[in-house]
Amino acid sequence: MLQPRRKLVGAAVNSTLTLGPGSRCSSRCSSSSSSSSSSSSSSSSSSSSRLSLVRLRHPQNRNRVQQAPWLYLVATGAALTGFALYPLFVLFRMSVSDVGPTNLLSGWNVIGTQNFTDILATADFWMSLNRTFGLTAALLISSLGIAFFCASMLLTASRSTNIVLGVMVFCWAMPPIVTSSVWKFLLDNDGLFNSALKAVGLPLVGWLSSPNLAIWSVAIVLAWAGLPFSVMVIRGAMLSISPEITEAAAIDGAGFWRTQFSIVFPQLRPTLWILAVLTVLYGFKSFDFIYVLTKGGPGTTSSTLPVLAYFSAFNGFNWSIGAAIAVLTIIVVAIVAIPYMRSVRKEVAE
Amino acid sequence: MKASTKIFIAATSCVALVGSLSSCTLSSNSGSSGNKTLTVWTYYSDTGQKNALSERDAVFEKDNPGWKVNQVQVPFDQMDQKLLAAAQTGNGPDVIANNVVVDFPSLVGAGVLKDISGEWNGYADKGLFPDSSVWRSNGKVYNVMSYTNLLGLYGNMDILAQYGITTMPTTMDDMEAALAKVQAGGKYQGLAEAGAPQVEGAWLFMPWLLSAGVNYCSLSSHADRVTATYRRIAAWAKNGYIPQAAATWDQATAWQKFMAGDYAFGLNGNWNLRDAKTNATFTVTTAQFPTNGGPSVVFPGGEGLGIFAKSKNAEMAWKYLQTQWLSKDAQVRNFQTSGSVPFRSDATSDATLAQDAAALPFLKATTNVAAWPHNPKTADMQISIGKAVSATISGQQTGEEAAQSAMAGVAAAQKAGGGGCE
Repeated sequence: MLQPRRKLVGAAVNSTLTLGPGSRCSSRCSSSSSSSSSSSSSSSSSSSSRLSLVRLRHPQNRNRVQQAPWLYLVATGAALTGFALYPLFVLFRMSVSDVGPTNLLSGWNVIGTQNFTDILATADFWMSLNRTFGLTAALLISSLGIAFFCASMLLTASRSTNIVLGVMVFCWAMPPIVTSSVWKFLLDNDGLFNSALKAVGLPLVGWLSSPNLAIWSVAIVLAWAGLPFSVMVIRGAMLSISPEITEAAAIDGAGFWRTQFSIVFPQLRPTLWILAVLTVLYGFKSFDFIYVLTKGGPGTTSSTLPVLAYFSAFNGFNWSIGAAIAVLTIIVVAIVAIPYMRSVRKEVAE
Repeated sequence: MKASTKIFIAATSCVALVGSLSSCTLSSNSGSSGNKTLTVWTYYSDTGQKNALSERDAVFEKDNPGWKVNQVQVPFDQMDQKLLAAAQTGNGPDVIANNVVVDFPSLVGAGVLKDISGEWNGYADKGLFPDSSVWRSNGKVYNVMSYTNLLGLYGNMDILAQYGITTMPTTMDDMEAALAKVQAGGKYQGLAEAGAPQVEGAWLFMPWLLSAGVNYCSLSSHADRVTATYRRIAAWAKNGYIPQAAATWDQATAWQKFMAGDYAFGLNGNWNLRDAKTNATFTVTTAQFPTNGGPSVVFPGGEGLGIFAKSKNAEMAWKYLQTQWLSKDAQVRNFQTSGSVPFRSDATSDATLAQDAAALPFLKATTNVAAWPHNPKTADMQISIGKAVSATISGQQTGEEAAQSAMAGVAAAQKAGGGGCE
């Protein structure tokens, strides 16, 4: 009788595939939270999972699932086909066609790999790819390193911890368009940061206008936006570690940070691995923050792959070129995501 | 009834309910009071233009009982993609004010704009409009312009007076000398202009080249002049005459910066005239775009007015265009509220325009405008220039590098668009 329940858990874990640090919730986050008895906040998704399990325990509900599994399959399959597979199919088709304003509605001529050949021959693509990797590297440092440090600091249950976590959730839950607009104001040449520098007699910094600095300013904002997610995930995983292990380390004379690095960190490896993959996905799909902050400028210095794809498609009206860039991005992301999917499958099997 | 059947019926009912509700939302053309709605999409962001529209809409609704005008303000850089999406779904506006100088080939090609040749040919006042205000593709009319917007130089005379500058610069050399004085003073900033790596950066930069006798179609033939101009802009940026931040500014941002009162000069359009008159806390003077070796030449801008190809209210949309945009009264009123220069000859000669000293440089500019390139990839051509401008101002590229990338980008776009230009 455990089979339906296991299926549901599997489905919940699989849902992490579509989530990233910038997403609004994660089953990884919720499973961590639910597994943590001392966690102060419980997410809505974990509540909903618990509710579903309770429902399934009801014999009548269990019978319904067993009698009509196809209904659930049809609904899921239809949603997946309509909202994921079909758009992907159109994207791939567009990437191998010649699509411009005159034939956007119909009559796409298939031209094979011409679009890919054209893109791969441009310096813009390779520079954007490099920037995307650079941005992602900065995000990884933040999501793993800084988040680990922050999560360690927030382990103790206290009023101040709750306040900090509350503020983090609030910042995380804000729409990217709002947070990026606020950051744009702060980083403007006449913004708060430069006003502060001016007040203490330091030279002004072109946070968003310097060709050497703009991409890193964007990276800082993206890292700031993704940090709460990473902290909550790592903190949840930390809280799920048996206290006996850390207590044993303490008895052996290990200090807090020694315990964190030598005992806790290795225990977190599966979580950090998945978080790293999600962060890579986050870096490769980030568009909204860059669009608001710099629009890929100055010049092209903060143009990453999604930005390049967007401007090719919607400003230059080269839809097939934009689609081909998107497909190449998907391929890069897929290469990174395959280990993640294997890891999830392994976890489900366990 | 079996449980699975119940679930199936429930699911089907839900889908049907949602479907019926959404179809109601999408296809409804009538409000609860029985009014019909005429939907107008614009990207106007300045108060003057929006106020002008609101005032005229009220009159239109009064003159056409049962009709309500729904003004939808679409962000400037999202207008084209929304229109293209609307063409796909068939669910769009009735009237469109689009950035005709950039998106005309794309919107016509994608079937967004209705062929209004019949309406235009039957329009009694069409003879009052110059040919440049009518946008055709394959002999068919798709866009008509009721006004033109041009670039000019705004000066903060309160700042300039402090440095002994009493007249507005007329050449690039004069401009450079004035900027040097302001910069040396260390109290104020020099020039506020848009340098975003998009069409806006190109729009602000091209008049320098046009005055030097170079246009989009002859860029590569005058590499020396293009390089010299980019090099000079690079020097201005390096000397601090143009702030590095301008590399990401659009026109609206550049105007806000100028209106804040810290900049001696602002390169911007006539649509800001009303704002300058009513909201500036300093004395504003205007002049024609400074020259660069030849006469002052700018591109004629402004919005193309058209009807959505799938509009169900095309007849009323054309009536709206006539009374709200194309009539003399509408154009004079538009000039008074926003500063946009009318196209109709009887509106241009109206005394209201001649009495407006601040508008005179812009009116004069209409007499010497350049022709836009005729190529489906005109957007790409402009973006190439804009990217190079942004790269120059930010310091990403030297003047020489920017000139090279601009010329290469324009040439590639021109070739991709079939090679045509003139």
